[in-house]
Order: sequence, then C-alpha cells, then structure tokens
Amino acid sequence: MAGILRAPSAFAVTPHKVSTCILIQIYAPPAQISVPFPFSSVTQHNRLGLYLLALTKSCDDIFEPKLAELLNQLREIGGLMDQWLTNHLTNRLSALQSPDDLFNFFSEMRGILGGLDSGVVEDDQIILDPNSNLGLFLRRCILAFNLLSFEGVCHLLTNIGIYCNECFSTCPTYELQHLDDPSNEVEVLSEYENMDLENYISEKITEEIEAGITSKGVSFHLYLPKALSTLVEGADIEASTNPKLEHSNKVGEHSLYTPSSSNALRNVDPRGGVFLRSNWQMQGYFMERAEAIEKHGSSFSSSAFELILRQLQKLAPELDRVHFLRYLNSLYHDDYFAALENLHCYFDYSAGTEGFDFLSPTPGTNSFGRYEIALLCLGMMHFHFGHPKQALEVFTEAVRVSQQQSNDSCLAYTLAAICNLLSEIGISSTTGMLGSSYSPMISVGTSLSVQQQLFVLLKGSLKRAESLKLKQLVAANHLAVAKFDLTHVQRPLISFGPKASMKLKTCPINVCKELRSCSRLVSAFSSEGSGLTMEGAFCTAWLKNLQKPIGSLVLSEDHGSGNNANPSQFCTQPSSIHGSLLQLVGSSYLLRATAWEMYGSAPLAQVHALVYATCFADTSSSLDATLVHVKLIQHLAIFKGYKEAFAALKIAEEKFLCISKSRILILKLQLLHERALHRGHLKLAQQVCDQLGVLASSITGVDMDLKTEASLRHARTFLAAKQFSQATAVAHSLFCMCYKFNLQVENASVLLLLAEIHMKSGNAVLGLPYALASLSFCQSFNLDLLKASATLILAELLLSLGTTHRKGALTLIHGVFPMILGHGGLELCARAYIAEAKCHLSDPSFSVSENSEVVLDPLKQASEDLQALEYHELAAEAFYLMAFVFDKLGHLEEREEAAAQFKKHIMVLENPQAVEDPLFNL
Amino acid sequence: MNSKENCRNELRTAVLQLSDRCLYSASKWAAEQLVGIEHDPAKFTPSNTRFQRGSSSIRRRFRTNELTSTPVTGVSYVSTPVMEEDEAVNGDFYLLAKSYFHCREYRRAGHVLREQTGKKSDFLRCYALYLAGEKRKEEEMIELEGPLGKSYAVNRELVSLERELSALHKNGMLDSFGLYLYGLVLKEKGNENLARTVLVNSVNSYPWNWSAWLELQALCSTIDILNSLTLNNHWMKEFFLASAYQELRMHNESLAKYEHLQGIFGFSNYIQAQIAKVQYSLREFEQVEVIFEELLRIDPFRVEDMDVYSNVLYTKECFSALSYLAHRVILTDKYRPETCCIIGNYYSLKGQHEKSVMYFKRALKLNKNYLSAWTLMGHEYVEMKNIPAAVDAYRRAVDISPRDYRAWYGLGQTYEMMAMPFYALHYFRKSVFLQPNDSRLWIAMAQCYEAEQLHMVEEAIKCYGRAANCNDREAIALHKLAKLHKELGRSDEAAFYYKKDLERMEAEDREGPNMVEALMFLAQHYKARNRFEESEVYCTRLLDYTGPERETAKSLLRGMRMDRSGFPSMDVEHLPP
Repeated sequence: MAGILRAPSAFAVTPHKVSTCILIQIYAPPAQISVPFPFSSVTQHNRLGLYLLALTKSCDDIFEPKLAELLNQLREIGGLMDQWLTNHLTNRLSALQSPDDLFNFFSEMRGILGGLDSGVVEDDQIILDPNSNLGLFLRRCILAFNLLSFEGVCHLLTNIGIYCNECFSTCPTYELQHLDDPSNEVEVLSEYENMDLENYISEKITEEIEAGITSKGVSFHLYLPKALSTLVEGADIEASTNPKLEHSNKVGEHSLYTPSSSNALRNVDPRGGVFLRSNWQMQGYFMERAEAIEKHGSSFSSSAFELILRQLQKLAPELDRVHFLRYLNSLYHDDYFAALENLHCYFDYSAGTEGFDFLSPTPGTNSFGRYEIALLCLGMMHFHFGHPKQALEVFTEAVRVSQQQSNDSCLAYTLAAICNLLSEIGISSTTGMLGSSYSPMISVGTSLSVQQQLFVLLKGSLKRAESLKLKQLVAANHLAVAKFDLTHVQRPLISFGPKASMKLKTCPINVCKELRSCSRLVSAFSSEGSGLTMEGAFCTAWLKNLQKPIGSLVLSEDHGSGNNANPSQFCTQPSSIHGSLLQLVGSSYLLRATAWEMYGSAPLAQVHALVYATCFADTSSSLDATLVHVKLIQHLAIFKGYKEAFAALKIAEEKFLCISKSRILILKLQLLHERALHRGHLKLAQQVCDQLGVLASSITGVDMDLKTEASLRHARTFLAAKQFSQATAVAHSLFCMCYKFNLQVENASVLLLLAEIHMKSGNAVLGLPYALASLSFCQSFNLDLLKASATLILAELLLSLGTTHRKGALTLIHGVFPMILGHGGLELCARAYIAEAKCHLSDPSFSVSENSEVVLDPLKQASEDLQALEYHELAAEAFYLMAFVFDKLGHLEEREEAAAQFKKHIMVLENPQAVEDPLFNL
Repeated sequence: MNSKENCRNELRTAVLQLSDRCLYSASKWAAEQLVGIEHDPAKFTPSNTRFQRGSSSIRRRFRTNELTSTPVTGVSYVSTPVMEEDEAVNGDFYLLAKSYFHCREYRRAGHVLREQTGKKSDFLRCYALYLAGEKRKEEEMIELEGPLGKSYAVNRELVSLERELSALHKNGMLDSFGLYLYGLVLKEKGNENLARTVLVNSVNSYPWNWSAWLELQALCSTIDILNSLTLNNHWMKEFFLASAYQELRMHNESLAKYEHLQGIFGFSNYIQAQIAKVQYSLREFEQVEVIFEELLRIDPFRVEDMDVYSNVLYTKECFSALSYLAHRVILTDKYRPETCCIIGNYYSLKGQHEKSVMYFKRALKLNKNYLSAWTLMGHEYVEMKNIPAAVDAYRRAVDISPRDYRAWYGLGQTYEMMAMPFYALHYFRKSVFLQPNDSRLWIAMAQCYEAEQLHMVEEAIKCYGRAANCNDREAIALHKLAKLHKELGRSDEAAFYYKKDLERMEAEDREGPNMVEALMFLAQHYKARNRFEESEVYCTRLLDYTGPERETAKSLLRGMRMDRSGFPSMDVEHLPP
C-alpha cells in the first residue's frame, strides 16, 4: 500500500492515445449514417472498430506503439482506404501545434460521445455509447487531459512533436507501401461479418471492465483483452501478405522464447517518445509474462526478460508488480538470492495488497497490509528450492499471521500449501514446528505421524476451502486428497484390544470420488462465467509456483488463459475455459493415469495419459508436461521394448531441453538400469543405480519415493548378480524403512522382491511366506497387476518345490492369465508363458507330441517378447525349452535353430560389454 | 612550514580557478580548507585567527597524537596547479556567460558560448547545459508526479552532452574540468566503469576539484574498487580516502586519516565535522556533542551536518538543546533538508509523530535521496503504527543505498512487531552482514530467534554470543545467554555467564533484578556442585537485598550449615555397624 507516499499513477494522455482518439473519431464521426464517409462497407467499418478495441486492450508489449508501427498496422487494416486513413491521421497530428490546438482537439472529441440524454436515436446513426469500451477510453482520455496542468499540456505537445518527427525521420518509405492491394481480406473477414462482433465483444468486455475500472484503481486480472487482441490480430495477419507482420502470428510461442526482443533493444530514449501503455494493459502484460515464465520454466530466456523488467522499473517505478516478475524470473532460473531479494522487495512495496483485486478498500483492513501473503509466497519459494524445513517454518508463521489478521482465504491457501509440502517432499518430523501454532487442527497433529498429520490437514484444508467457496482451491484439495488416498492405508478406527481386526486397506472408491468431485468443478465454472474473476480472494499468478509434479496441485488461478497461440480456438470456445482450470482438470487426468498404473490397468493408464497429452498440452505447466511424457515413455518401454522407448526419450529430452531436468533424468536412469539388468550389464546397472540414489535428498524422510526406488533397484542389481545375501540385506533394510515411514503400498513390492530373491537362491520354501504376504498386501491394497505378478511368483515357487505342486501352480497361472495378458508388460507375459510351459513340461502325463502347440505357442510368444526386451537370460531359457520340445518332437532343424538362438543369448549374456551403449552419456 | 605554505598556495590558486569555472561547491570547499590550514601563530594577529580559536581547544581535548603536525614524508605530491589559461580572445563573451551563470540563467549562458572555442568556454558551456538539464529535470519531477513518488524524469541534455564530450575526449581536447564533467555525465548515464576511469584522470591531473573526488567516491561502492584505483599521491587523496573509508564504514581507518590531515588543516571545520560524523558512527556521542558545540560557536550559521548533531541530541534526549538548534537553523535557512530533519527529530522527541513525519516529508521533498530522512520517517511511522508506510519508507532508504544497515534493521523490527519473526530474520541478517560489530543488531536477531513463535534457542544463543563479543553496552546479551543456558539445563555455562554478567554489573556499578537473579542462581548452582564456600559468598551478598530472595538465601545458608555440621554424624549413621 504505502499509497500514503505514492501518488497513484493515473491514466496519462500520450501521443499514441491522441492518435487513437483521432481514429475513434474516424470510426464514429458525430451524426453520420451507418457507413460513414471513408468506409466502403460495413465490414471495413467494423474492422477498424475491432482494431481500435485491440489497440486499447492489447498487452503484448510494455510500450505504446510508435507512429510508424501504428501506420503500418493501419495499412493492413485500412484496405482500400489506407492512404486516406494514414494521411488523415498524420495531418491531424501535425496540425497540433500549440496548446490551444490540443484544447480544441479534446473539446471536439467530446462531441463524438453520444449524450446519454440525446433522446431519439435514428436506426442507422452511429453513436459512440459513452459506456461502451471505446467510449470509456475516450472519456478517460478527455478526463485525463482536463486534469492536466499547463505544464502537462506542454509536455504532451512536445511529446506529440517527437512522436511525429520520429516517424517521419525513421521511415521515409512509408509513402511507398500503401499501394498493395490486399483484396483477399474481404473474404476472410466475411466470416466475422455476421457475428456482430462489436456487440458481442462490448457486451462481454464491459461487464468485466466496468468491474475493474469503476471499483477504484486498476484491476489485477485482465485476461479477456489479450484473447481479444490476438483474435483481431490473428484475423488481420491471416489476411496479410506482408511478411513483416508474420512473426506475430505465433504470439504465444515465439515471443516466449525471445520475449519481445525488440523491446529489449529499444533503448529508453531520454528525449521521450517511449511511453508505457496504460496501467491496465501493463497488468495484463504482467499476467501473461508470469504465466509464460511459469509454463516454460527455465527455457524462458532469463536475461532478456530481466533487461525489460529493469527498464520498466526505471520508467514506471510505481509498478510494484515488476518486482514480482523479477522474483518469478529468478525463481524459475534457480537464482535463490535474487529470488529472495525480489520477493521481499515486492512485498515491502506492495504490502501484499496488490494481490487482492476485489479486496474491499475499507480503511480498517488496509491499515495492516497483507503480509501473510508474503509469508505464503516465501514458503512456496523455499519449497521450490527444496528447503522443506524453512518452508514449513514460514508456513507456520503464515498460518499464525493469517489467523491473527483473520484472513481466512490466505489461511486456506497456506494449509493447502503445507499439505502439498508434506506430500511432495515429505519431512522427517513436524513436531515442534507446527506444534507451536494455535491452529486447532494443527495442534491435534502434534502427536500424530506425518502421514496422519497430513490427512488431518488435508481434511481441514478442504473443509475450509469449501466454506470459503474458493472453488479452485477446493478442486486442488480434492486432487490432493485423491493423491493421498491413492497410497493411504486405512486402518479400522476401532483397533484396540487383542481381538480387533488389523485389516489394512486402501480405498480406490475414495480416490475415484475425489477425482470426480474435482472434475465436477468445470461445469460449475462454465455455468458461472465471469464470476470467475471474483473467485478466490487472491487468485494471482504468484501462487503458481505452488505446483510441483504429480497431479500438480495447481492452486494458481492464472488469467489470460493459455490458448493464446491459437486464435481460432477462442472462436470455437466462446466460454473460454480458464487456463488454470484446464490445468487442474488436466492434473486430475494425470492423477487418474497414476491411479490406474497403481491399480494395474496399463491400457487405462495409457489412455488417460494420452488424453492429457492431447487435450491439455497447451495449458499444462512444464512439470506436468514432463510427467506425462515420462508416463508414456515408461509405457512404451514396458510394452514395446527399449528401442522405441529410447527413441521417444530422445525426443522428450530435446523438447524439455533443460526444464525439470531431474524428472527426465530419473526416467533415463530407470530405463538404463532396467535395460542393463536385462542385458546383463551388471556393472553399468550398479553405476546407474548409484546415480539414481544420489539424486535424492540426504535428509531423512525427504524424497522417500526416490529413495525407495533406488534401493529397490539396488537389491535387484544384487539379485541379478546372484549375490543373494546382499540382495536380501538390502531388501530387508528397505522393508524396515518402508515400515517406518508407513509406506505400506511400497512394501508389497518389497515383499515380492524378497520372495523372488529366495526363489532364485533356491530356497523356495523360504520364499513362500513372502510371496503369500505380498499377495495379501496386494489384495487389500487393490494392486491388481502386482497381485498377478505375485501369484505368478507363487506359482513359480510352487513349481520349484517339486512336480507334485505342478497342478496347483498351473491353476494359479491360468487364474491370473487374463490379468497378465490384458494389462501386463512384455516381461510379465513372457514369464507367465514360460512358467506355463514349464508346468506342462514337468507333467509326466503330458505328452509333447500330442499337444505340442500348448507348449510351443506360449514359448514362441515369450521368446519374441523377450527378444524385444533384450532380456537375454529369460530368452535363453525360452529357447532352451523350445529346443527341448523340438527335440522331443523330432524336429531336428527347428531344434538346431532354437539351440543356436539359445547359444547366442547365452554368449551375449556372458560377454556383456560387447555392445557399447551410445545412450549412456550422462 | 613549507608544506603548509605549499598547500595554501595551491588552494589559493585552485579557489580562483574553480570559481572562474563556476564550480561553486568545489571552490567553497577549497576555500574552507584554505582557511583551515593552521597558521604560524607568531605571524598572525589574533584577529586573523578569530574564527579558529576554539578549534585548537578541541584538538587539545581530543587529539592524541600531536606528532602528526608534520606531513608524512617520502610521499611525492604533484606540484602546484599551473593551469594554462586559454586566452581571452573571447574573454568578454566568457564574462557575460559567467554572469548569466551566476544569475542561474544556464541556458542563456550556454547560448552565449555557443560559438566560442577553447577548453574553458567549452567546459562552461557544457556545464551550463548540464545544469540546465538538471534544473529542468527537477521541475519535471514535480510536474510529472508527486515529489515523493519515484520519478523517471531524466536530464535531457545528457545524450547530446555525452556525444560532444566523448568526441572531445577522443581528440584529447578535454582538460581536467572537462574530464570531470564527462565523468559526471557518464555516471548519470550509468556507464560506471568509464566514468571511473575518466574521473581518475581528472583528479590525477587536477586534484583540487573536490566535486570530482566526490563523484569518484560515489562510484566506489566496495573497498576492492577503491583499492583498484590508480591515484597519484597528493594530499587531496588523503581527503578522498578519509571520506571514502567513512562511506564504506571503515570508521577507524577514516578517523586515522582525518586526524592525520588535521596536522595541516588544523582549523578546518570540514574535518571537524567529518570527525564528528565518524565518531557518531562509532557511537561516541559525548565527543560528537562537544565537537558540534564547538563548531556552532565558530560557525554559527552552519547547517551542513547539523542533522547528525540533532541525532545525538535526540539520542541523549536533550529537549531544550534540540529545540534551540532547530530554532537556530530555521532562522538560518528554512528550506534545507537538514533543517527539516532537525525539526522532525525534535517533534519525534516530543512524541508528536504526525508533525515529525510532515517535516521529514518536507526534507525528502527537498532532497529525494536523503537517506537518513527516509529511515527516520520509517521510525516515525512505526511509532504511529502505520506499518505499511513504515515498511515503504525503509524500503526506499534501502533502495537508495543497499548498505544502509539502519533501514534493514528498521524493516526487521517492523516485521518483528507484526509477529513475523521468521520473515524479519531476513532483514536482520542483512543488517548484521553490513554491520557485524554492532551488538544491538545481534541482539535484535537473537530476540527474533528467541521469540515464542520460533523458539530456536540454539540460534539465539549464537547471536547473543556474537553480541556479547562486540561490546554490548546495555549488557543484555550476557544476561540472556545465562538465562537461555539455564533454561536448557546447562548450568555450567549458565553459571559462567552469570558470573561474567555479575562482574560486569559490579564494574559498572549497576544494581537491579538482574543482579539478584545472578546471585541467586550462582548461590544455588555452587551449592548443588557442593562448593559451599562460594555459594555462601553469594548467599551473603543476597542478604543485602529485600524480598523473597533474601529468605531463600537465608534458608540456603541454613541448609548448608546444617549439612556441614550434620555431615559427620550422617557419615557415622551410614557406616555399617
């Protein structure tokens, strides 16, 4: 606030605005019939109107266009009358020679406005409604001019002089160009002709703007105008043949990577001539930039943007938002100190008040400022940089201050942020941090484990958000709860006493419910329409950094929705759904994919991931986008083999050049590790596994997922190396860790691994209890695919106990076949086939010659799959069995072939370093 | 003395040359130093030294090293200024331009000289244009926005001036004054490195232009930059270094330089004032007060630096002296930022914060970059509980000079007041980084850590430890250290600090609850350690106080005596029969 000290920056009259006024006058000359003089058709007339609207609203740049640019654009717009237009404009401008001319000019402007009281309006007459968009603009210009002191008028006059001179000196060729005849424009525009855009747009906008402008000061969230400007510009450019303007066609994509390089180069000319756009447009620009930074992460050029910001700060020091953008910029470029500095600076200046655009300006609430938001942001910054402890500390403070200031929405957001922190990074112990808080719901948590505490917090946060009607927060909370439920193991509430059942279970239904209630919000929003702007006490860009991967709990409500790259999209979706909303819905799809992955339906998981990738790609944040790529590539690796997976990985790596490198890096390591295991490159596998382990944070209780995964892979590597005792030791300690941190779901796979280790080491009897335990875990946690694979292991164990158990094993295998074939990957299928074949072969009553297909078909299938995976060990086994069968059948030739294949795989397995890996270049 | 005579001659010429070029403040400064050179008492009548009588008494009181009256030998100085004056073919126009300049009609002055050649005319023309631009800039600042808002008005002459001066520079057509102006323009344009080189050239060729030194100093934001400058040896360099050290808050080095300079410029008011300012930074308020009183006596219409004096009076809560000072300066010159600041201080002392803010605002209107006014205004807003305004004011100060530890400290305090200790820590960290030897800052930071919301006791102990090491005047740190250690159950450490605190209180002859607390703890601690004699000493001391502690001490003593007397019998009892 500190408005005490600072004069509110007003809407200033600039030369550009004067030109716009002149154009408005052309557009709506007083008392004329429907198609005024210079215009040859309604289309043309409408087109100028559209252009003017765009001119007053666009926020793709910080500076007002120079006269030369304006003239160029007019040439595109003007069609047949371009010469008349430009001449008229320049003549009018150069006629302004003395202060008195300016006075006359503006009083003339007043004449354009149709009076509210001017009784009869003829049907065809053009009247600029004073409350329309352009009318408002004109009124503001006139008002601003009337407020000017004489010195101000003198400034304006000199500036107009500079504005004109600059144009005539820098582009002497402007006379030459206007004989192009873009006759094709008429066709293009004809589609708009019927839409009565002016009506449509002005209706739409005025409600929005009125809300912003009239409620004192400039509203923060102005998203519609930009969409509008791109709509109009897009339309123009499609028609234009001028390559010079072509570049702006991809406003979204291109300018993101080289953010308005023209600005950066355009030095601030101390002689004037460079003016910032209206405050309102600036805010729109900021929103857009903030979104772009957030979406593109570190691929956003840092220094170029910083340059613009610095310039902006010099030109308009009163725009506090610049500090915030600098903060965002440094945040996404991992510059901790700059981010910290700018964050503090921003909140020192704005006192957090800028974030609320419909904060009631009652004096009582303003006296303190909104510093709790500063805390919230600081906490999220620490979270982003991976300082969970500091983040929690700050959040605790935020909770306290929000309570003191009774800022409920901030409290709700803070709680959500804490949930996010706890579930994303995890923390070893929160006692003593949250304990000192007064919050009833947090203080309950002190005696609970982190998991339970998270649960309590999530419930509380959800309730709070619901009662405050913060819809997006509610949706995000639903997502968070769903994510929590996914791995949350419920215990029955009454579990005291010796006879209480200790049955654990997860609840997929809950997950589903939560996901549904999240998606339901879309309909709530689309029915609400513009109410969205009012939604949420501080729906600002800075909440963006809250999101992190998996189901990214997007709390942001960013405006200026992301579909800017494609103007046609806007046309097809009149009720343009909000970018942030789309992000939320997208995240719910991602979470669905994750859920199906867990519950064991690979096709469904893939479908959801694909839905996300196709429908939400342009609104997704870079983190979500990488996540979906990771999922799809993993799917490829499991179902199609490594070749394709690595090809896809290469593409992904190029696409996400340096963004969230860690996620792609982890995937790469995972794939490399798996392939190395299959190929038998154990040294490499060990190396990769170690690298994976290093990526996790060293703090206990943090980054548990990665740690679990690393040690699981470690154990597997030992297993592949036939070092059973080490493998068992690692798996055991992993089990203990998972138990300690309540990671029950992970334990199912650890148990399975233990069973496998015992099986491979020849202790089938020892393996049995583990397999059974894993099986029961899977059952109660609804992990169907894992259950199938546990059953398979059980069958294999039974098989290795002796032929007497052969029958039971076969039944087991047949029981899970539908699951495995439907949802399992190549490896699992192959293993099932081989196990089945083994069962048959070990049956003394089974005659190979009679039912050779029963064994041969699965073996063939298995060998194909395994070759795709380059899983030499199992492939060798399959070929061995095949050779055995062929031998029995007496097919010598085929037997030799299978034997040769067997030999080949064995050879490769024994000389693992024969093939050098080009991909291993970390 | 020869060197004194040299200095005098150099300065005399310099004053003439500088004022011929309308470099008023530099010539004022030079003239002040000229008069400040200590005279040979034998040669001058008392009337000549009338203005200087007192200063020698200050010297007697505060100068410790009388030896410095001779300049350091073995230092080669550049010789006296011999400026070849480019000749007055167009002398008449120059005179006219100068007269216009005197009347502040800068554009006119520039216009008169438009066709004149020669370094001197070139300089004056450019300088006049520069000033015209500055004047216009100031006006625009007011026109375009409220004077307290940050404004983007720029000096519109800069571009053309830079173009012209760089062309001249390339051709070697700039004399040292031209170089000064070029450096100034470059600095305004933000080209700091080149500006530094140019200014160094300027001061090396003509060291008596104090304005050039000041510009150079503003470009030396770190000690490394300062050390990297290649400056010729000249006594003016000493002035520069002293001032630069002061700005970089190397107070002791600065003080040494000034005291050394006093050897020659014994009667320089400037040096006195600077010494006072350094002493103020070192928090030697008594000395500062004496110096300023003396200065005011010699130079009763001085307004410069008097805000520092008022700060001292404020700290010492001298109501009447402060009001007297305020009255005096307002009669001298009402529209000086220092004046407004002094009045603001007075009202602040009187607890009339609204009025105080008004005067600080006026000071800032007069000089937007008046650092201490921003900070002081922040303090006033804090008093008025207008927190956003306070934060904003402090932030402005910090933006003007990121090295202003007071403003960082103020920010920290404000946030701490709002019960945001963790957030405040960031600011305290900043201020402590800038001023690591100030115990108050460390204590503030420690209190943040200690706050009930954070309760990070270990960190608090570390901060108190630092505070205790840097001469903590209020003796908060020792007591706190003892207390915290006691809370953590580390009674040995606690006893150590209580003892230290006790010693300190004894040395400073202070009494109070802290004393009782320390005695009580020590008595109990030594008793628990079975060091009865020591414990008894403390108990006996406690008997001097009234209150419940006295009773406790009594019972302690009784207990110990019982123990000691009962000891043998108990021993016997416990022996197996």
